[in-house]
Amino acid sequence: MMEKKSVSVTLEQVTKKFKNVKGKSDVIAVNEANLVIAPGELVTLLGPSGCGKTTTLRMIAGFELPSTGKIFIGNEEVTMMPPNKRDTATMFQSYGLFPHMTVFDNVAYGLKLRKVPAEQIKERVNETLAMVGLADYGDRAPSKLSGGQQQRVALARSLIVTPSVLLLDEPLSNLDALLREQMRVEIRKIQKDLGITAVYVTHDRVEAMSLSDRVVVMKDGHIRQIGPPSEIYERPNSRFVAGFVGKATFFPVLVKAKDEEKWVCELGGKEAMVSQAGDNVVVGEEAVLMARPESLRLVEPGSGHIEGKVRMNVYLGNSLESFIHTSFGEVLVQIDDPHAKKVYPEGSAVSIDFAPDRVRLLNKDEK
Amino acid sequence: MFTKKRIIQFCFAALLFLSLDLWMFNTLSANFRTYEELRNFNEIALFAQTAPEEETAQAYEQWIPTVKSIIAGARAYYFTFDESQGLFVPSSGSETNLKLWNENKNSPEFKKAMESVYYLEPMKLSGSYKADFSLDPDIHSNEAIASQAYFVPVIDANGYQANGAIMILVPNSTATGYVNLLRTLFIAAAVIFLGIMLVISFTRDPMTGFMVLTLFGIVLVFIAYPLLEAIRLSFIKDGVFSLQTWKETLSPTYLVALWGSLRLGVLTATISTIVGFMFAFLIERTSFKHKRVMSILATMPVISPPFSLSLSIILLFGNNGLISKQLLHLNTSIYGLAGLTLVEVIGMFPIAFMTISGVLRQIDSTVEDASLDLSATRWQTFKAITLPLSAPGIVSAWLLVFTNSLADFANPLLLSGDYRVLSTEAYMLVTGRSNLGAGSALSFLLLMPTLTAFLIQRQWVAKKSYVTVTGKPSTNLTELTSKPVRLTLETISWAFIGFIVALYLTIVAGCFVVNWGIDYSFTLANWGEALSRGWTSIRDTVTLAAIATPTAGLLAMLTAMLIVRKKFPGKRILETLIMTPYAIPGTLIGISYILAFNKPPLLLVGTGAIIVINYVIRELPVGVENGITALHQIDPAIEESAADLGADVPTVFRTIVLPLVRPAFLSSMSYTFVRSMTAVSAIIFLISARWNHLTVLIFNFSENLRFGLASVLSTILIFIVLFVWALMQVLVKDDKLTQKTISTR
Repeated sequence: MMEKKSVSVTLEQVTKKFKNVKGKSDVIAVNEANLVIAPGELVTLLGPSGCGKTTTLRMIAGFELPSTGKIFIGNEEVTMMPPNKRDTATMFQSYGLFPHMTVFDNVAYGLKLRKVPAEQIKERVNETLAMVGLADYGDRAPSKLSGGQQQRVALARSLIVTPSVLLLDEPLSNLDALLREQMRVEIRKIQKDLGITAVYVTHDRVEAMSLSDRVVVMKDGHIRQIGPPSEIYERPNSRFVAGFVGKATFFPVLVKAKDEEKWVCELGGKEAMVSQAGDNVVVGEEAVLMARPESLRLVEPGSGHIEGKVRMNVYLGNSLESFIHTSFGEVLVQIDDPHAKKVYPEGSAVSIDFAPDRVRLLNKDEK
Repeated sequence: MFTKKRIIQFCFAALLFLSLDLWMFNTLSANFRTYEELRNFNEIALFAQTAPEEETAQAYEQWIPTVKSIIAGARAYYFTFDESQGLFVPSSGSETNLKLWNENKNSPEFKKAMESVYYLEPMKLSGSYKADFSLDPDIHSNEAIASQAYFVPVIDANGYQANGAIMILVPNSTATGYVNLLRTLFIAAAVIFLGIMLVISFTRDPMTGFMVLTLFGIVLVFIAYPLLEAIRLSFIKDGVFSLQTWKETLSPTYLVALWGSLRLGVLTATISTIVGFMFAFLIERTSFKHKRVMSILATMPVISPPFSLSLSIILLFGNNGLISKQLLHLNTSIYGLAGLTLVEVIGMFPIAFMTISGVLRQIDSTVEDASLDLSATRWQTFKAITLPLSAPGIVSAWLLVFTNSLADFANPLLLSGDYRVLSTEAYMLVTGRSNLGAGSALSFLLLMPTLTAFLIQRQWVAKKSYVTVTGKPSTNLTELTSKPVRLTLETISWAFIGFIVALYLTIVAGCFVVNWGIDYSFTLANWGEALSRGWTSIRDTVTLAAIATPTAGLLAMLTAMLIVRKKFPGKRILETLIMTPYAIPGTLIGISYILAFNKPPLLLVGTGAIIVINYVIRELPVGVENGITALHQIDPAIEESAADLGADVPTVFRTIVLPLVRPAFLSSMSYTFVRSMTAVSAIIFLISARWNHLTVLIFNFSENLRFGLASVLSTILIFIVLFVWALMQVLVKDDKLTQKTISTR
């Protein structure tokens, strides 16, 4: 593999409108997105379907044109540049392998277009196929390979042209769970080794968490939050992000006061302390208290914040999920290492407790 | 894309080019005009010198009109010099001139001219005058047109005094014809340049832009322009707007022909649909054994030349036919509605057969099982389930055959006898009476029903398909027919196929008979004569088809790619225009082509190019349809991957799209070849002494009762077509990698 200098990717106020055919209003797929991806970084675009993540990726690749805004790869503006002139390589969800060519010819395609001498092509294709573990598969037709192997061919085909930016559009969604995990690790390894800047689109939060340097959470064309996986999970700043990246319960509260470190709020008639809050939380107004299942504890009735009754326990081995019926509805509490802790049997009355630094106040709006 | 900088750049460049273009045009046309004037002056001076010596009125009356032989379309008037008044007074000559003179004689320009003539100086008036040439019509000019006025003196023998003056009017039309051509060329240059500029400035993918632009150019010049020209000329009679042509067209004489076309169409469509349904049902819905053989034999008539069946029917049932005369001694004539219907049904039932097969094949047998399971009888099931489910296919087939029958030209030409149909009437008008306007009006009359049927088929039936695959389709076939029913169907079908095969064998037999109908002894003489007289036609036909085939194939696939994969303004219009020739009778296309391309700047009539263009344009719709269907089954990510790896649009087309749509590409090429080899309706108008077509030659031989020669040429044509068609079939199958994977995804 040839060494290449890593480059950054910058999106400046990028908006994409799709004209609606039947004279209805236009659909805004991406709305004023600003994003700077550092050289060598792997950034995941995460969001539900229709949030604009694939459109964003396709704009970076050049398959779609932004309606307004600018895109830079390195220091060069590429907003209007056609895909074949950009130094990007895309891996498609459906792989887009050329069915009329052998595996070897598929991988060699990009090099042939670059007029690389035949000798060198052979050498480099074999090298790249070996790297993705398909050394002996050159003569096969793509249709004769399994899904995972096809995916590797697509990867090899993208990597052999040593792109500055690798774009991955849900590349693992057609694979089974086990293979997906393997490939995920492999892609990450290769990307780190080669130092390629990568943009990865997925709707799978586990994939996003485990793979990325940073995660961009999108909804309805808007970027909702950008941050490392831990920040996105632990310190979401909106109810949507909190709910999308992991399980969470939202308790309605009234924010009463804020001192230097803590917020004071009213939760079901009792006072509760919370030490962190997202954007748009205002004293004197309603808000929600976000709690992850693993942040909640079960204690003796009357000694916690919320009273309830155990409706069902689900044993998972390393943890136990307790579904508690409360006046706020059903609340999920996760008890890690259940052997070492007290487990309240189904039907017994309990109280739910939490530490102020393990929960977070968020604006009550879903958006 | 539309940044301020680019717009300013574009406007600047456009302005620069336009001013340059205009300047060059003005200079050139001014030069040309000056030259023209100078020449006219010289000619007129020469004319003035030929003035008769004896100054009698009679001599001048004879002399004045000879101006026409010097300058085409000119008119002259002679004025004598009246010494008593010191004035030129009108003497004799063209009424046109006199009228203009009387209208303008007191204008300063005219006075000045007369003064100039008095001093023996010829003069041309600077303005142009509208003169009424209809007062004195001739072949060059017979309406009111702008013209240039020249005044020249007629000098006496001594050369000192003007005996008289001549006023000469030269119509602009003869002088400006060239300037008009020049203008067209410069406008074309400006349009092309602006188009290219527009694409370069405002698209990020100029290659696609150029392709779209070229395609628009082709479509506008070779589809829209001829049709508009045909419409325009049907409203013009003797150079002025008139509804005369349409009045004649809508007269009872031609309405009879329209009625004849419709009657034939309905009959043919109905019978063909019934026969087609029988074949389709037998092959798709029963356990009939010889499905492959039967379906190949049943599609044969589609690829055979149109005259061959008519020829064979004449050989068997004509006035001197083998069966009618020799065996049965009948006196009934095959010429007319009955014979035509028979030939058209045999020629067109394969269309119905293929259309209905497609629908029947997709009906899931489980629905019939369900009906039988609910204790319906087989007949009830057929009536309540199978027939309604295949209704869209049946209606579609009927409309398609109807359209084809109306547009059919070859068979009526040979077999119609006294029965009259529109397509041949139009041909007679054009070739017999060279009345192109009326011919095109008749063809438009024919277009109404064909277009209606085509649009119904397109918009309504094609979409109203009941075939929805839900769940897992069953692979079992439920036998809906009892054994006796099936055997009856089989027998009828075999008999029908047997009849078709017999028809083809008759043609082969016709090759080896001295004089069909009179002398049935064996001979090989026909071959020698047919080959020596038809050799150039065979060569021309194959050459032209061989040029048209790859052109049409490539153009079709390229168009399909642009339509399916690219976004550009005017896509709907382009698609509609490309599909138009499919719905238009060949007669109309042929007539509109001679109307549009028999004059500069596109003087194509008589060349081989016009025939090739006509083939390509007419077969493009089917190819584009094939390509679009094929492309819709291919994951766009495949092409995007290629672009992503650095391939530009032509490379993607060459290395990815073309190999992937190969079956569609090859089949549209073989379709084009077959159709080009067997074309008649449009081609018969476009052939010339230089480029002849085999089918037209066959027609001429049949019409002159040289059946032996016609048979030989038909046989040769059938074998060429069959050979190429079979070759293409083999090529489509020879495909290692793509066979199965193309539609996976």
